[in-house]
Amino acid sequence: MNQETLYIAPEELLVKMKQLKEVEKMDYLRSLTGMDWGTPEENDTQETMRGLGVVYHLESTSTGKRICVKTSTLDREHPHLPSVCHLWKGAELPEREVYDFFGIIFTDHPDMRRLFLREDWVGFPLRKDNNPEKENPLRMTNEETIDTTHIYKVKEDGSLSCTDRKLFENEEYVINIGPQHPATHGVLRFRASLVGEEINKIDVHCGYIHRGIEKMNESLTYPQTLALTDRLDYLSAMQSRPELCMCIEQALGVEVSDRVKVIRTIMDELQRIDSHILFFACLCQDMGATTAFLYGFRDREKILDILEETCGGRLIINYNTIGGVQADLHPNFVKRVKELIPYLRKNIQEYHDIFTGNVIAQTRLKGTGVLSREDAIAFGATGGTGRASGWACDVRKRLPYAAYDRVDFKEIVYTEGDCFARYMVRLDEIEQSLRIIEQLIDNIPEGSIQEKMKPIIRLPEGSWYTAVESSRGEFGVYLESRGDKSPYRLHYRSTGLPLVAVVDHLTRGAKIADLIAIGGTLDYIVPDIDR
Amino acid sequence: MFDFSIVTNWIHEWLLSLMPEGWAIFVECVAVGIGIILLYALLAIILIYMERKVCAAFQCRLGPTRVGPWGSIQVICDVLKMLTKEIFTPKGVDKKLYNLAPYMILLASFLTFACLPISKGLEVLDFNVGIFFLLAASSIGVVGILLAGWSSNNKFSIIGAMRSGAQIISYELSAGMAILTMVVLAGTMQISDMVSGQSNGWLIFTGHIPALIAFVIYLIAGNAECNRGPFDLPEAESELTAGYHTEYSGMGFGFFYLAEYLNLFIVAAIAATVFLGGWMPLHIPGLDGFNTVMDYIPGFVWYFGKAFFVVFLMMWMRWSFPRLRIDQILALEWKYLVPISMVNLLLMAIIVTLGWHF
Amino acid sequence: MELSTPSPWGRLGWGPMYKTNMNNNNYFGTLFSGLCSLGTGLKTTMKEFFTKKITEQYPENRKELQMFDRFRGALTMPHNEANEHRCIACGLCQNACPNGTIRVVSEMVETEDGKKKKQLVRYEYNLGSCMFCQLCTNACPHDAIAFSNEFENAVFDRNKLILTLNKPGSVPSPNPSTRAGSKMSEKNK
Repeated sequence: MNQETLYIAPEELLVKMKQLKEVEKMDYLRSLTGMDWGTPEENDTQETMRGLGVVYHLESTSTGKRICVKTSTLDREHPHLPSVCHLWKGAELPEREVYDFFGIIFTDHPDMRRLFLREDWVGFPLRKDNNPEKENPLRMTNEETIDTTHIYKVKEDGSLSCTDRKLFENEEYVINIGPQHPATHGVLRFRASLVGEEINKIDVHCGYIHRGIEKMNESLTYPQTLALTDRLDYLSAMQSRPELCMCIEQALGVEVSDRVKVIRTIMDELQRIDSHILFFACLCQDMGATTAFLYGFRDREKILDILEETCGGRLIINYNTIGGVQADLHPNFVKRVKELIPYLRKNIQEYHDIFTGNVIAQTRLKGTGVLSREDAIAFGATGGTGRASGWACDVRKRLPYAAYDRVDFKEIVYTEGDCFARYMVRLDEIEQSLRIIEQLIDNIPEGSIQEKMKPIIRLPEGSWYTAVESSRGEFGVYLESRGDKSPYRLHYRSTGLPLVAVVDHLTRGAKIADLIAIGGTLDYIVPDIDR
Repeated sequence: MFDFSIVTNWIHEWLLSLMPEGWAIFVECVAVGIGIILLYALLAIILIYMERKVCAAFQCRLGPTRVGPWGSIQVICDVLKMLTKEIFTPKGVDKKLYNLAPYMILLASFLTFACLPISKGLEVLDFNVGIFFLLAASSIGVVGILLAGWSSNNKFSIIGAMRSGAQIISYELSAGMAILTMVVLAGTMQISDMVSGQSNGWLIFTGHIPALIAFVIYLIAGNAECNRGPFDLPEAESELTAGYHTEYSGMGFGFFYLAEYLNLFIVAAIAATVFLGGWMPLHIPGLDGFNTVMDYIPGFVWYFGKAFFVVFLMMWMRWSFPRLRIDQILALEWKYLVPISMVNLLLMAIIVTLGWHF
Repeated sequence: MELSTPSPWGRLGWGPMYKTNMNNNNYFGTLFSGLCSLGTGLKTTMKEFFTKKITEQYPENRKELQMFDRFRGALTMPHNEANEHRCIACGLCQNACPNGTIRVVSEMVETEDGKKKKQLVRYEYNLGSCMFCQLCTNACPHDAIAFSNEFENAVFDRNKLILTLNKPGSVPSPNPSTRAGSKMSEKNK
């Protein structure tokens, strides 16, 4: 998975990036990571990266070529880089995140505000020379909502000019949907400007459950960082934790046994079914079909029981370790999974009866919130959302990991891009996941469940980016190590952030009720966005 | 069939022997008023309990089980809790209207409730345009909802109130039309006459096809008029948190809640009166033995039995379907229900003129 | 709200409801197919109305309620009949913990043969900040600590969550690493 890495100086970033986008057809921005490589030191070689910068991971959806681009600026007082969000729309929120954490100003960015932290936060916490606790005591005041945002431009002489832009005019009818709102699936806040029932514009506020996991990771050992991955996207815990394990294993050059690979695949799929059932349940709840909601929860319980029996946890599963898994499969595991498969098949038919076929559900979902394939790619909206728009973006097919190269399953792709397509992708994927489990459950190879690891794990110097298909899209880990026992930088590509970014795009002109349907079918999870 | 007018007349005579007529009527009014309020509260408690149990059964759950046998005292505890809660008035509300709104809604449902013929001789309000009065009284409720939404000084509330206004006023049309269809068949607007006219067969049977269509339309429109799912978008919790009653707490909210369930009962009871024969037992022409047995069951048992059956139907609908969107609600009304009920009314008129009914 | 592209929904073979074409513009056709779909929904819920309910009546079923043996309730230190535990106060668990949940208080004692040895005084564990990541039990060389199946951990005072795991008067086991069938010995096989 090692890929070509390019260093581009900030001055020529825009030109080169444009070339990559238009000539090399690098239309998908997989990940955008802010970095603080520190100040130059004497024994630096030509290759040593220094300064504040950004790492871009790009991929071409037509040729499958991947490239990693790094850029950095040595100015720590007023660091600025050109924004790439007019090339990839999905860069808008990650660039705000980088501004928030590193203080890098992106010039020509339409909306240069903090993303996660409070407006009155002092300093940029992920800079290596910043101590966030020093200047930021627990503030007992409410955060004021500010209606203006800034656009920075580079002047002729190289200095920055700042213009203000108003987000909402005074006469606009702005309502807050969230942070305490049943339909935002967690503490996410939309400020929606309404014209009657129709939505004119939406401004997303994130950060209500921001725990600074990426900052915490920099002071934790590698085994300790694992414990936090279950707390990102809690419905993809079985995918994000092995993903970090795989990234570390790759860096260490450790190959896990076949048994572990198969176990990880089965667990991954069980988690996916669990997540998709919850998706169904919550969508139904949001759309007022409370009964279907409970049917979903009834069936999810069975999966959680299976997970709990083997892993000891239901939500915070805590199963994968570096080089293996925590415990071997429970003796009942195979039997229970085999009972689960026909049970789920029967009950998914019930879901179709009560909700899929329902005329009210169909008229509400079909044709609303249409996301075109181009937009899905530009925003980087992966997972079921991307596949509903006709973009075959499944990492399990693109870059097979664990045991996915030896199982036969269909990548579900719809072309409509509307809410109903997004809904159907998920329900069809449950069936595909069941197929994968069926193929593996009878031939779990024997082997060790844990490779021998050193008591203190140190990674060699270098940087790695790996990705898996989590329940709601490409979950990536960017890991940079300086040879210590804790990572120099550990960045997660949030699956939900691009999905939240498309909300404004999809809800223009839609009704309030459509916002609920669109949000429900995009299927984002807030702890994974805020990290 | 026992006629309650014997009892009421006896009480009237007895009171007359004690006091002048004006006073006697006054005392009777007070007694009847208290009776209605008590029955109202009792029914609300039963309905809320029923809703929780029925909805739980549809959802593979048990519902309340803890307080009292099978959780039967749960609702009473909830009422007590609601009574003792702080009544909170948010900043910036229009106090007068804000406090008035719950009573407007209660008033509407009380007035409608008084029209219901619970048993033979137990009609409180019974006059020659009874149905007309009933339709008029039930439509006062929307004023309360609009006032609540407007006076709360909350953006969610006002959206909920506006949705509700559009919805209830629209659906009143088809509900009224469905009832009018049955009025055409019954040939009277007086509720007691309408019920006694059904002694040889309930109107839903005698009116066959158009009566059945009217019944379905009435159920749909009735559901929409009580703001219940799938038409609960004035208070759609996943969109508007609680819609028009977001800013009410304690008993203010309690009144809305009470009225919601009583409106459900009223809609069901009207359906029972107009379509299913009110307190009239099930009579099958020709089977005299069967009819006599049926007559032994008291009228109010029949009445409540039928009403609760319709309530169950409406709960079944509520807990099966997702919520509609505002434009779909209006499309359903104006594109489907109104034209169909108009044609249905015409059909019924033709059938009655030609005498094709039973 | 109809899609202009031909819809594949009709081709999906999930029973009769999905085959009906919802997109036809026929007034009565739409009405009828819509009513049919509502009927299917009503049928489904009515079927569930009469099936067995799934509610677990928790405090009542306390006696039968069996947690899975791998369930992680709270950290415990198993003691044997002689009130001996296997902790050697090495502090590996304390170092492994990401949250600072564990505090091992030890003292140096002199054994009979004159050697100095670390001995456990108090093993403090803060249940309130534990995130059940199992790094401590993984780190422990003698399986002195384990997670129990106890799950009724709610208390009214936060201070009650700070537990001392070694029992009063307990002593370290003289030969800590010989527990038959322990997890560690399994691993070493």
